Amino acid sequence: MNLSSSIRGVGYRFGSVKDVLAKSNPPKSGDDLAGISARDAVERVAARAVLAELTLADLRANPVVPFEIDELSRMVESTLNEDAYSAVKHLSVGQFREWLLEPTTRGPTLRAVAPGLTPEMAAATCKLMSNMDLLTVGAKCEVVVRANSTLGLPGRLSSRLQPNHPTDDVEGILYSTREGLSYGCGDAVIGVNPATDTPESTAQILTRLHEVRVKNNIPTQHCVLSHVTVQMKALDLGCPMDLMFQSMSGSEKGNRAFGISIALIDEAYAKMKAKTSNRGPNVMYFETGQGSALSSDAHHGADQVTLEARCYGFARRYKPFLVNTVVGFIGPEYLEDGPQITRAGLEDHFMGKLMGLPMGCDACFTYHARMTQDEVESLKVLLGVAGCTYLMSMPVGDDIMLNYQSTSFHDIPSVRGLLGKRPTPEFDAWLNEVGIMDGLKPGERFGDPGVLKR
Amino acid sequence: MSFTRTLIDNLRVKLGAMDPLPPPPPLPVVPYPPSRVFPTPRRRSAYAEAAAKHTTALVGIGHVGTRYATNVVLQFQAELAVAHAAVGTELPEGWAEANGLLPLHSQVTSHRQFLLRPDLGRRLDAPSLSRLGERARRGIDIQPILADGLSAIACMGSGLTLLGHFTRECEARGWSVGTPMCARFARVWLEDEIGETVNCKVAAILLGERPGLGTGDGLSAYLVYNPKIGRSDGDRNMMSNIHARGAPPEQAARRLAVLAGAMLDQKTSGVPLNLHGLDLGHEAGGGYRAPEPRVRLVYSGSDSSKEKA
Repeated sequence: MNLSSSIRGVGYRFGSVKDVLAKSNPPKSGDDLAGISARDAVERVAARAVLAELTLADLRANPVVPFEIDELSRMVESTLNEDAYSAVKHLSVGQFREWLLEPTTRGPTLRAVAPGLTPEMAAATCKLMSNMDLLTVGAKCEVVVRANSTLGLPGRLSSRLQPNHPTDDVEGILYSTREGLSYGCGDAVIGVNPATDTPESTAQILTRLHEVRVKNNIPTQHCVLSHVTVQMKALDLGCPMDLMFQSMSGSEKGNRAFGISIALIDEAYAKMKAKTSNRGPNVMYFETGQGSALSSDAHHGADQVTLEARCYGFARRYKPFLVNTVVGFIGPEYLEDGPQITRAGLEDHFMGKLMGLPMGCDACFTYHARMTQDEVESLKVLLGVAGCTYLMSMPVGDDIMLNYQSTSFHDIPSVRGLLGKRPTPEFDAWLNEVGIMDGLKPGERFGDPGVLKR
Repeated sequence: MSFTRTLIDNLRVKLGAMDPLPPPPPLPVVPYPPSRVFPTPRRRSAYAEAAAKHTTALVGIGHVGTRYATNVVLQFQAELAVAHAAVGTELPEGWAEANGLLPLHSQVTSHRQFLLRPDLGRRLDAPSLSRLGERARRGIDIQPILADGLSAIACMGSGLTLLGHFTRECEARGWSVGTPMCARFARVWLEDEIGETVNCKVAAILLGERPGLGTGDGLSAYLVYNPKIGRSDGDRNMMSNIHARGAPPEQAARRLAVLAGAMLDQKTSGVPLNLHGLDLGHEAGGGYRAPEPRVRLVYSGSDSSKEKA
């Protein structure tokens, strides 16, 4: 396995596959923080030249966290689909990139190959791609999942309605929920991040969201994003729960910081399949985001793009209905500004889709990052072009509980209108039935929350 | 001429190449649009009116096509500017001493470095470490730590109030409370080194949280049992949104004391801590409390006198 290259006669030698992967990354403040990034743009290209020649088999043999110390590395290895892997293992990363871009390589083929890819393969390919490469391949991927509605069909753009409230005032949550529904938002999920992480409040919010869904016959899902152990206790209280949520990290140590392990999520998944109020078969919802492993000192010297891909390796074990990267939420120490957040959103969408996940993206920024409102609006359009499964949505994009700026109720119909996209077919039919939409155009009751029965 | 060239030429003719380009369409009559403004008590929709009793979220604001009305855009931009200004404010040197608090400083040396290097914000600089060793009370139950975090404005405002209430709640329960202190350029995990140094059972850092739209006054609190360097997020329990619109400091202090009490009883914190059956105050039960109204920030010209009346 060759780990050296030269540019204009100057030789570059890299210490390991992990080192090559890290130095191939486009600039990210998080990789600088970890002290693993390329020292300049030339060394970055030298690393990419090495990466382009490594085979997918080399990447399988060299996960960025060793098998001996990480259960995620072992689980990905032992559950990899050998037939799918055999179809592509002989390719170098550079050749795999070209195969992905070939017009003859279409969505169904990508779906077939997905179970044979390790996170390191997806991350490596990502590093050789420009933003437009990421859009081109992302848009080809087809990942369709089903709960009460069918998500991820071609020509669709869905949204999570995120009616968070700083004190979990359920009436306040429901005012935001009805407003969002009246703008055509919420076909992926109505999902609340609770301020209080207890089984009782989780159950209470779910019960009230369930009433809205049932009373108005809305073909969607609900979820309260408390810790998975809290949701398991809430299920024991006997509340409805359409999707079960958990945040994930890309290493065993990172997941320990989140208070989870493979065994725990296995147990949660089994319980959810038995008790969910959703028609299935997909019942889980996961969130990820570049930098989470480093933030708990669990990165093992690996770069944040590769660690992010490893979250997807974890997530796909549970055939989730939703996965999204909360791309700008973590802060400027990991993604410093607009260009870095934009790049990361497109990377995460590409890698997740390539690995067969219904990938959404919370295109967002915190007020201490250097991203403008115009930049985040552009990212929403780029994600729509890339075939992103869903975006978030909340009143003027302002999360009054988590204090950051995301997608607004108004942005979802705007992006759909610009790109000719529609929500899930079931939800689309409901919107037209109640008059919120009239085909692709706003209907008579658009933006009128009075259309919802109380 | 090839067959394809002929086809292309015919196509051009078919598209009207022989005719002059059409003139622009006639000018429309442009009416004044209906009044759509950022909701204020006098002019907001019935939905916005009812919602305001339960949430500060901007709902009932209407739409122009699928976008915002101009007044909503201006309000939004003003709120964004306020948030950015809050992030940029620094805790003045000398503020801690002036308020009777032991001054501590992380290893961070500039505001930009504070944003980009959380590792430096998690450790004390050498002078602070020796000051802590010399002047802080050791072997206590609870060590509260006030800190700037991402909003020095919140730290200097309701931070002091929260520190006072929390200290009194702890003392009322008979616990020993550490020397009051304030850390500058501090991240959450700084409580580990401080707690380990003063040998407390529970460390509680109270710090300014990421400013929200139009606000910069929110605090978060992170509690950890048996603090020591190397603790992670799963070892902590936290409470966010400590401000007038969320949990006011007095109420938050009670709830934090209940949390600390559970940690002392169960000798653990974070994910293993059993919160079941704890009385965490009425905000945990979703009880009603009117939110603070979201104030309109932008007035201009004649609009200004009308709206204020």
